[in-house]
Amino acid sequence: MSRLSRRRLLAGALFAKVFGASITGTAPRIVNAAERMPSSESLPWHNWSGGQSAQPTGRFAPQTEDELIEFLGRASGPLRPVGSGHSFSALVPTDGHIVVLDHLTGLRAHDPATLEATLGAGIRLAEIGPVLEEVHQGMFNLPDIDRQTLAGAISTATHGTGLSLNTLSAYVSGLRLVTPSGNVMELDAAKEPRLFAAAQVSLGALGFVTEVRMRNRAAYRLKKTTRLQPTEEVLQDFEAQARAHSHFEMFPLTHSKYASVQTIDETDEPIHNPQPPPDQPDPYDELMRALVHVPVAARGAMIDAAVAAAPQSEPVVDVSYRILANVRNYRFNEMEYSVPLDAGAPCLREILRTIDEKQIDAVFPLEYRYVAGDDLWLSMFSGGPRASISIHRDARFDYRPYFDVMEPIFWKYGGRPHWGKVHSLKHDQLVKLYPRFKEFLEMREALDPTGRMLNPHLRVLFGIAT
Amino acid sequence: MRSFVVASIALACALQFGCGKAESPPAPPSASSAPFADAVITEPGKQRWARTCAMCHVRGEGGAPKIGDAAAWEPRLALGEAVLLDHAVNGFNNMPPLGYCMDCEREDLRAYIRFMATGGGA
Repeated sequence: MSRLSRRRLLAGALFAKVFGASITGTAPRIVNAAERMPSSESLPWHNWSGGQSAQPTGRFAPQTEDELIEFLGRASGPLRPVGSGHSFSALVPTDGHIVVLDHLTGLRAHDPATLEATLGAGIRLAEIGPVLEEVHQGMFNLPDIDRQTLAGAISTATHGTGLSLNTLSAYVSGLRLVTPSGNVMELDAAKEPRLFAAAQVSLGALGFVTEVRMRNRAAYRLKKTTRLQPTEEVLQDFEAQARAHSHFEMFPLTHSKYASVQTIDETDEPIHNPQPPPDQPDPYDELMRALVHVPVAARGAMIDAAVAAAPQSEPVVDVSYRILANVRNYRFNEMEYSVPLDAGAPCLREILRTIDEKQIDAVFPLEYRYVAGDDLWLSMFSGGPRASISIHRDARFDYRPYFDVMEPIFWKYGGRPHWGKVHSLKHDQLVKLYPRFKEFLEMREALDPTGRMLNPHLRVLFGIAT
Repeated sequence: MRSFVVASIALACALQFGCGKAESPPAPPSASSAPFADAVITEPGKQRWARTCAMCHVRGEGGAPKIGDAAAWEPRLALGEAVLLDHAVNGFNNMPPLGYCMDCEREDLRAYIRFMATGGGA
């Protein structure tokens, strides 16, 4: 058994011992009551966190692109594509049909010369790593969670970490789009540059992405190190570190002076990545659940004292996809905004200061990272690199009291919301944040003049009346 | 390091605030006989299961009961079909709604629960 595993098991045992007693605190209001049973025979749809729900007329899961086209010809009413339900925003809910692209999956072609791979758009990110490894390729980057479908991830400009690394959408070199009227369009930068740029981040509003060609690189290994460091100290040197490492990010611990800091770099060292048993509760998750019952004012000193005495962790080495993504079992809701790089540190400081000053109950760490710029119409990073800041709230509890206080801070620093995460911006504000927003809306109007792909959320974003 | 921090905070938390586990124990079992006994999984259904439920129920991610782990499934089955289906449809603790199976209908979920509870032999 490795040192890491022993420490983890020890922590788990200690945790179970000291937390085995009954709860004395007052638990916050639970909003996801378990008594919600569907009222009709058709099952309701909920996203991963349970924060978004719908009662669709029906679901359709085509086995092939032809089946999808045939369905579009006979179905009536609104249509929304769904990936794995990992968007926290209301991109999916509809009273029309939900179209599930799960069965359009797998590696369909690859090119050893260009290091491109064509994948079914319903493949999950977690499935891509192993199939690409077999053809000696690896994705440039992955987000923290890898259970999203490829179509869902690119449609929301999902991203990982890295000042020299783009959103997943920017690594798309071609895609097949089935329009709401059932026409198939093969798009890339050469054939249809404007439509392609719009379709790379489309919020599922232009049609159904059925196949994606990704630019990749030769398969590679990464080495990850994690340390605890005062947040302010990390911020002072953040840009230099972000330039020095392939991936550099931190998770500021709320109510604390410290952050968990993570660096990831390419390596040719042998694989060393001991894993705890997956069925063992994550002690960190258990801790967050328990901290809910500690008065907010008491958390900081408790966390800081423990952090100050903590030993260093050992680095881990593995193939890229096993290092970049993490399993997140503890369900939450999330808000994420990306601000210009020079606004990142002041924005983060104001958020942390506000959490402390207002004694906001926020047990989840924040996430702070840089992402490279691109030229995609609806990418949060269009026009240049940005600092991405995420806040999270346990999915059992109402996120609004926390997020409603934080969101104006993001606006103050010129933040653009992540399309798949909670935000309240509307058309008039989004037009000012995205120089190509009107062009995107014109493209949408041309492809979907009757608005079949719209739902209430998209109508608000696009300024289209019901 | 992370575990050290967790353990230290847990100890301090317990000493100062008497913290306990945040999760409530499951509700007491209700009477139910052979739940899901008539549920049948198809071959295409098994393929879909492998890309959805299996992501957690093979390795036991997040405390998910593993396929074929009778001891883990027994108390859950004792809750009865209605409760277990409600958890599958609406989510429960770490279990996400529909278990990543976005096109599953009620009979699919019934079949998958039986499939996992009986060790894949159903």
